[in-house]
Amino acid sequence: MQSKLDALRASRRERPAWDESYEEMLAHLGQNGFLEHVIKPGESFPEFMLPSAEGELLSLADFLVRGPVIVSFFRGEWCPFCRLMLAALTEALPQISAVGATLLALTPETGGLALKMKTYHGAPFEILADVDCGIGLAAGVVFRIPPKYRALLGPNFPARHGNSGWYLPIPATFILAQDGHIAWRFADVDFSHRPEPGDIIRAVANMNGKP
Amino acid sequence: MELSQVRYFIALCKTLNFTRAAESCNVTQPAFTRAIQKLEMEFGGALIFRERNLTQLTELGRTVRPHLEAMIEAAEAATALANAKMGRTASSLKIGLGPGIGAASIASAVREVTSKLPDVTIHFEESGPAALIEAMLMDMLDCALLPEFTELPERLNRWPLYTDRALAVLPPDHALNQKNAVTAKDVLDEPILVGEYCGGFAKQLADTTGFSLQLQRCNGAATQLLDLVAAGLGMALMSDRLRYAAPLTTRPFHEPELQRKIFLTSVAGRPLNVAAASFVKLCRVKAFS
Repeated sequence: MQSKLDALRASRRERPAWDESYEEMLAHLGQNGFLEHVIKPGESFPEFMLPSAEGELLSLADFLVRGPVIVSFFRGEWCPFCRLMLAALTEALPQISAVGATLLALTPETGGLALKMKTYHGAPFEILADVDCGIGLAAGVVFRIPPKYRALLGPNFPARHGNSGWYLPIPATFILAQDGHIAWRFADVDFSHRPEPGDIIRAVANMNGKP
Repeated sequence: MELSQVRYFIALCKTLNFTRAAESCNVTQPAFTRAIQKLEMEFGGALIFRERNLTQLTELGRTVRPHLEAMIEAAEAATALANAKMGRTASSLKIGLGPGIGAASIASAVREVTSKLPDVTIHFEESGPAALIEAMLMDMLDCALLPEFTELPERLNRWPLYTDRALAVLPPDHALNQKNAVTAKDVLDEPILVGEYCGGFAKQLADTTGFSLQLQRCNGAATQLLDLVAAGLGMALMSDRLRYAAPLTTRPFHEPELQRKIFLTSVAGRPLNVAAASFVKLCRVKAFS
């Protein structure tokens, strides 16, 4: 996946407007010590029950009963980096299941977009809608989108979230032990950086005490 | 940003007093002030004017407040629902339905809420938009489905859910049942029964075509009007999302296309109980086709 992300980033950076807004966001989040606020290994992940893409209310606790849970924040159906990651996770799902973990993808999008995202990828895992970024806020991964990036997303963007807030999560991934504590996390202010599915799977396997 | 920083900011919005806000959040004032400063750094500007006798929100502060409140509420509702499921919390879900808006399209969301919160009482109220808005503002309703063309006060949140399309609702054995679809010209000589709960499609037809239609006023509930249609008094133009029982028949209406957008509304900034908050979220996420 890494090489695909790198190629995508390189092609986007050739567009001056994109590159400027990207630099603005990294500088903004980097200078403010954003990652300090993101919940860390050892802390417990906020409990939640959220609507799934198919319209069910699903709770974290119900998945933790079965084994470790991987919670991954996505920016949305529109984001090409998220698409690459979703495709990679879809491909890796058999191995994720083999180590006994459940994958939950969270998106701030509403209006049927979670279902669209799921259908597009044929994603065989749950995509939950973190409406108004509530759980994102509780996990410390939400930020207000800086002006240039907002301009890039365009005036119709707020309708995707069903609010006028202009917030997004950084695409962080957490592995939760069965007691709800965070065992491992990947967090980066650069949305073009994502954890390799292989690293996630190894981290779960390590937790289980398997090599 | 951090949940606690946002909580502090909202407490400050409510009290406009650093000392009291810090107290209400159980935190020392220096820690409170630092948290607000960090939030201001992240937002790239002051959220609060700090003047000697006057603490007030800046324009940026006022802009970001409503959504930060909504975010905290979303976080709390998602956690409260996870906990409520374990205990049994009696609560109610009170939904307003604008004229001619059925519950069929939101029934799956209601079912999902009741499956997680079995002790919830469901309450529907069908009425005109003004009465429903009033009821929401008075806290008698949690939310309401309202048609476009309704003037909504600023205080209401609104989310587009779906588009209602008109059907020609016909008596059995009506000649128009032979057609695949009904047009404006087909109904020029047909009596059209019109009541408060028909969704305004007949008026829309008259307004868009300028045709003079044979409108027959029939006040009362939609069921009574439909009884009259079934008895052969005339036809009706009503939403494709309502259910019509035999012997009534329906045909799509086109030329012109008669439609109206339906919005979910609720009072901004007012926390909903866990059942209502979950219902609103489910509706906002749902793909209404």
